[in-house]
Amino acid sequence: MKPENHDEEEIRAALKRAFAEPDTELRRDLWPAMLQRLETSALSVPWYDWALASCVAAALIFFPRIVLFLAYHL
Amino acid sequence: MNQHPYLRAYMAGIVFPSAFMLVVLTVFCIVRFGLKEPAPIEQIIVFPMAILPNAFGAWNMLFLKLHEHWRVPIGLHGAALPLFLGPIGATFAIAVGFLRITERGLQYFGIFTIPYWYLPLAPFLAIAAYYLIWKYIVGSLNKLLGIPC
Repeated sequence: MKPENHDEEEIRAALKRAFAEPDTELRRDLWPAMLQRLETSALSVPWYDWALASCVAAALIFFPRIVLFLAYHL
Repeated sequence: MNQHPYLRAYMAGIVFPSAFMLVVLTVFCIVRFGLKEPAPIEQIIVFPMAILPNAFGAWNMLFLKLHEHWRVPIGLHGAALPLFLGPIGATFAIAVGFLRITERGLQYFGIFTIPYWYLPLAPFLAIAAYYLIWKYIVGSLNKLLGIPC
């Protein structure tokens, strides 16, 4: 065995001793947790917010000139 | 993620008005240069573009500060912003001559006139729109950046 190969083997062995084998296996199925997170993060809009949004939209449709007023001041 | 909370609050606050103002500016440009309407874009757009994003950012920073002592819902906090922005905008417009008070109503830039009977309606609309914007858009951006709300 060449000396440089010997060194490489020693380094490899030292690294293996220093760093433990990584745990690459999943301990549990992550998909149910993902589904639960998706369900909880779904936006739920209460009825009064829908009513408020409808009133704003109706006012802007029936009084279009107020859009200019609001666009400038807000 | 726990570092610089006020900077994150400012950044979360300015996202919506910055993006929205681009849409408004695009519409103004189409009206001005596409349809050849004599609208003085640079005069109209200066107040909203200069003030609005910074006001949203600063108001969100204030929300974060107040949240430590007083847990007011973010929608209500945002709904209070037009109570400050409206009078500031009117003062600015009157001071630089963009807004004139005439017999028929408020005349902006000598182009469009808002009848006086619109004035009682406008604050309610502004408060409702800001409530929804802050509750659903700024609130979700705050959550995304780890700001409590």
